[in-house]
Amino acid sequence: MTEVISADAPRGAPPERDILLDVRNLKTYFKVLDGVVPAVDGVSFSLRRGQTLGIVGESGSGKSVTAMTIMRLLDIPPAQIDPASEVWFDGREILGLPMDQMRRIRGNEMAMIFQEPLTSLNPVFTVGDQIAEQVALHKKVGKKAAWDRAIESLTLVGIPNPERRVKQYPHEMSGGMRQRVMIAMALSCEPKLLIADEPTTALDVTIQAQILELLKTIQQRTDSALVLITHDLGVVAEMVDNVIVMYTGEVVEQGTVEEVLVEPRAPYTMGLLESIPSVEKRGGRLSAIKGVVPSPFNLPPACRFEPRCPYHWERCRTVPPELYLSGPSGRRARCHLHTPEGAGRWPAALEAHRRALATGRELPVHDATPGDA
Amino acid sequence: MTKYLIRRLIQAIPVVIGITIVTYAVMLSAPGGPVERFANNPKITLAQKEAFKKSWGLDQPIPIQYGRWVGLLNPDGQGLGQFLGPTGWPNILPTGISGATNGVLHGDLGFSLDSGESVARRIGNAALPTLILAGTALLLWISAAIVLGVLAAVKRYSFFDQAATVFSYIGFAMPTFWLGIMLILIFGVSLKWLPISGMVNARLSPAFGTDNYWVYFGQNPIPAILDIAQHLVMPVITLVVVNIAGDSRFVRASMLEALSQDYVRTARAKGLPGRTVTFRHALRNALLPVVTNIGLEIPFLFSGALVTESIFSWPGIGRLTIESIRVFDYTILMGVFLISSLLVVLANLLADVLYAVVDPRIKY
Repeated sequence: MTEVISADAPRGAPPERDILLDVRNLKTYFKVLDGVVPAVDGVSFSLRRGQTLGIVGESGSGKSVTAMTIMRLLDIPPAQIDPASEVWFDGREILGLPMDQMRRIRGNEMAMIFQEPLTSLNPVFTVGDQIAEQVALHKKVGKKAAWDRAIESLTLVGIPNPERRVKQYPHEMSGGMRQRVMIAMALSCEPKLLIADEPTTALDVTIQAQILELLKTIQQRTDSALVLITHDLGVVAEMVDNVIVMYTGEVVEQGTVEEVLVEPRAPYTMGLLESIPSVEKRGGRLSAIKGVVPSPFNLPPACRFEPRCPYHWERCRTVPPELYLSGPSGRRARCHLHTPEGAGRWPAALEAHRRALATGRELPVHDATPGDA
Repeated sequence: MTKYLIRRLIQAIPVVIGITIVTYAVMLSAPGGPVERFANNPKITLAQKEAFKKSWGLDQPIPIQYGRWVGLLNPDGQGLGQFLGPTGWPNILPTGISGATNGVLHGDLGFSLDSGESVARRIGNAALPTLILAGTALLLWISAAIVLGVLAAVKRYSFFDQAATVFSYIGFAMPTFWLGIMLILIFGVSLKWLPISGMVNARLSPAFGTDNYWVYFGQNPIPAILDIAQHLVMPVITLVVVNIAGDSRFVRASMLEALSQDYVRTARAKGLPGRTVTFRHALRNALLPVVTNIGLEIPFLFSGALVTESIFSWPGIGRLTIESIRVFDYTILMGVFLISSLLVVLANLLADVLYAVVDPRIKY
């Protein structure tokens, strides 16, 4: 397994060949009536061919917008992408590609699976129509061949009786079945990159496991790279090689899945892990990260997690933290605890985190600035 | 589907019976009555009015009048015998069995109190002109509304969208009679580009719908059609301008909703070109409610436009209605109202059927 998360190629130059997707300092804003919302605020990561990356974060952390920006599915305006941002896909910078060239990549070389299988399929066309349409468009094959490919894709995603199912409309299928159709559609052109945006959130738990299993086997079989966007740490643990954790549009932590989930370095990730309910901690109150996500119009001046952080001190309110190297090879966390200035505080923080994990009790946030939620 | 259709048709029967009763009641409760047509004629005496009432059967109790109009009762019978037709079978049965010929049920809408012609004939003569006018206008405004609405939705908040909105509301707010008269003044009277009234040029051809007219039409089909087309221009413009607003807004809203759906995002993520996304994936969905709306506008093809037809002296159902109101021609009005309401019932049914045809999710 490889641990590259940031490729570190110079700006404007392609990354090394093995890197399929290289996102560099991606910034996406939304101009709305009340001002500018920085939905994605300087996100960088990269992904090798065939590798799996998890993007974790709560609602509004910018993970979906990151995916939509890479797919160039956002309407501009209201969305705006910083001109200095770069997204390299398979050796090309795609944010600057003309739309008609981008369209040839979309659905063909990179495909996306959405959160809502119930509404993501067009209700007035059969599922076969919808898959064959994409195949015919990108692979320049006839109707018959496209249709055969649609049946093949449905078989691949484990839909029984595909010859019959292919002629059905989405409303004739269950939610899990429709998500399989979405996956079949995404895979129909054998993309190099698959982006799955909360593919299991709308499904019930037993179906979730099946869909994840399916994604995993298919990803291994077709050797495509996968970006899995989720808020579910359990899903991440099972599915991905590397993880980035996002908070208010920024990456706060990155590393391999073992590193991030077992030895979190950013207080936000530590808090997320502490708030996972478990059987051992049964009976007590559910623990949570104190406070709420700050409004994008009123972000804290320096560290954006500072008001909710159990370990914060003055420096957190004055100096915006960067993604500091906090371990070997690409392991990074956005926290002053991993600078020389904060290193002295780290053992105590780690100790508190371990205690919280063991007892299931929330860590207090001392003298948090009141009222800036 | 067939089962559903049969059920709906059976359900329509009580509705239609209700319609006849309400129509009859409304007409009865209107002030005046059939003999009011003589109110301004001093030569007609009270006794003569009574005689008219008697000959028209208006001296009978109201349920009996209604029964005769519907065809339940035989006007020649007495007492319970009224229920029986000439052959002795109940009068309500089809003519072939009961021998009865009176009443709506036997296809007899009565005779015009004004001209003495049969109501069916008067309505029949007026129906074709209305179909021509309303059909042309409906076709034009629906296609224009779809084009305008879709473009406005695709280019939302653009100059085009704003302009379409402004003109829609101007058209919507403009009174029909004012627009019609302005068109007549400008294009008819001042510029003399277009004929100002009627359906055909009376100097060149016989009156529309007469036997002579059809002979003339057979001999000179192209000038005859061009003549009608010329006369059509202004009333059609009037109807289109006034009616385009509602439908184009409706299409725009429907299209905007479709464009914001998840499946449109999916279609874009598949790499489809913008036009395919808009015109295949979004439009198809956006038109579902529009189809229903069009279905419900179908009765307009018969009932026509009262004001527009009157302004342009178009010899259609709308003008027939207005004229019949003026001369207290109750039987014609009853006929027009009855057929219009039947068409509304049928159009609703048609709209439901169309909906099932275009939307695979609807099954009956």
